[in-house]
Amino acid sequence: MTTPQYIHAIQIDTEICIGCSHCMRVCSTQAIRIVDGHASISPERCVDCGECYRVCPMEAIYVKDDRLAKGSKDYIYKIALVPAVFFGQFPVKYSVTQISDAIRELGFNEVFEVEQAVDFIKSEYKRIAKDKDIVRPVISSFCPSVVRLIQVMFPSLTENILQLKPPHDIAAIYLREINSTTNIRPEEIGIYYFTPCAAKIVAAKAPEGEDESPIDVVVSMRELYNKVYKLLIENKSDKDDLKRRSSMTSDSIKWSLSGTEREYFRGRSLAIDGVENVIQFLEILESGRISDIDFLELRVCDQGCAGGIVCPGNRFLAVERIGERQKRLQERLKENKKVLNPLMEYAKELQKVSKVKEITPRKGLLLDENVEIALQKMAKIKTLNSYLPGFDCGACGAPTCKNLAEDIVKGNASMSYCIFVQRIMEKNYKLSPEQAFLTIEKIWGKNRLNKYKDNYGEKEVE
Amino acid sequence: MKMQFDIAGGDFSAAGGASSEVKKTLKQLNIPPATIRRIAVALYEAEVNVVAHAYSGVMSVEISPTNIWVQIADKGPGIPNIDKAMEEGFSTASDHVRQMGFGAGMGLPNIKKNTDSMELKSVPGEGTTLEITVNFN
Ligand code: SF4
Ligand code: SF4
Repeated sequence: MTTPQYIHAIQIDTEICIGCSHCMRVCSTQAIRIVDGHASISPERCVDCGECYRVCPMEAIYVKDDRLAKGSKDYIYKIALVPAVFFGQFPVKYSVTQISDAIRELGFNEVFEVEQAVDFIKSEYKRIAKDKDIVRPVISSFCPSVVRLIQVMFPSLTENILQLKPPHDIAAIYLREINSTTNIRPEEIGIYYFTPCAAKIVAAKAPEGEDESPIDVVVSMRELYNKVYKLLIENKSDKDDLKRRSSMTSDSIKWSLSGTEREYFRGRSLAIDGVENVIQFLEILESGRISDIDFLELRVCDQGCAGGIVCPGNRFLAVERIGERQKRLQERLKENKKVLNPLMEYAKELQKVSKVKEITPRKGLLLDENVEIALQKMAKIKTLNSYLPGFDCGACGAPTCKNLAEDIVKGNASMSYCIFVQRIMEKNYKLSPEQAFLTIEKIWGKNRLNKYKDNYGEKEVE
Repeated sequence: MKMQFDIAGGDFSAAGGASSEVKKTLKQLNIPPATIRRIAVALYEAEVNVVAHAYSGVMSVEISPTNIWVQIADKGPGIPNIDKAMEEGFSTASDHVRQMGFGAGMGLPNIKKNTDSMELKSVPGEGTTLEITVNFN
């Protein structure tokens, strides 16, 4: 089987990982196994949702991003592309102007809010919703983790994914366009995107259905947050938020949260957030149980991007603050009467480049390319599984008994990995206690059992 | 590869469980996604038919490298007029069943549309047996 290279931002530092298996138990795609005492992620199955990152007690799971310092020498004109949730990380006493000024102070020539591109997306939705031939429900392509989840777990729904670039891409393309008339060469313009999550890093590094990304550097929001917060506390900068008049419709800033996007696709639509909720719904959708829905807005994080794994603040506070900001924007827009979004002047040009290629399934679930061989493997898995206890205890290093059976058939494990089977094999002299010991060490790491000396219970264990 | 599932009549909350299991299995084989979808829709409709109209039923599945064969046999009132039941929009579902969003009469014609062969036998007062085949290529 040829395996395409899948890029991931969720990584495990095996120096820190103690192989405790917390991550293995929460991964919805069953991408994690414990091998040699460490967690190991299968690239075919991981969708960069970050659920494993949330539960790791050792902080051994990290998000591989670029550093803020990257490219500082190469770029003459640096643009910070900042999503609205970033502004929601700060108490409302700090205005967007103050926060933007602080970002500029860090060496950026321009600060651009990603959601400025949402007016364009809204206009596209209006057009797309009229298309009678499009496969329904149309599934939003906004959350890259949702897109990958569908590619891995729900292959028959890939054709429902909207073939439209997300707002951060549209914003980046627009920024390149308006700066192309200046005397700075394109390669001297650096677009830095500040991400709330791992999935957006992957989307910017290896976008699905696009040949290359218009974004140069992706930095986790946390790094920017710490630097900006420091400046905000030190600075007594201008508080006048009115100075920089906003030029987008006010609810655009809620786009990445849950519930706003769906309102802009005509017809019956649903907004679903949280990875388990999303999976549950896609499951019934793929089973053909739902037929008359037009649009699905899906986010793997609870509360949408406010719940992103590298958002430093509390998600509910962020949602509330973004709501407050929307109110302020609305009032201001009332005074100005009309919204003039300069990005929309480029709508025609943007439309030409906004489409992505069809999204195709990944091979994470396939047992074999050949149906006949796959069926044979499946029969073996079924047999093996019937010998396993079905407790899903995880002591074999796989999240479920069924997963162990699959791993055995794939040649990555053996029946003796199951501690219950081990007992029986020892009783029947099929496995020596020494072999059983080595098997446990192979999964949970060398010396893992050292603290249980022979005399446990008699003397204090060191 | 053979599988078998029991279907309980009247249990709408569990409807779709069997077809969902079959679909999960098919996803591990290299079968075109559109084909999986057709099978999923057909099996779900068939399962709901049992839940909505019969007392109990059994779904038997056989997957070969080239196709899937499924038999859904139920114990129930049966279908007195099969030709009529095949008409789009025809349904004998009770108001209660319809209110729950089931039994819009899309069942049988929809199954036929999504399968390569379909055979329906029924003995009024005893039950109905539906056999369908979908080819993978
Ligand atoms: S990021 Fe999500 S899919 Fe990937 S290993 Fe972690 S929990 Fe699993
Ligand atoms: S919901 Fe938002 S923050 Fe969470 S993974 Fe998706 S895009 Fe990233």
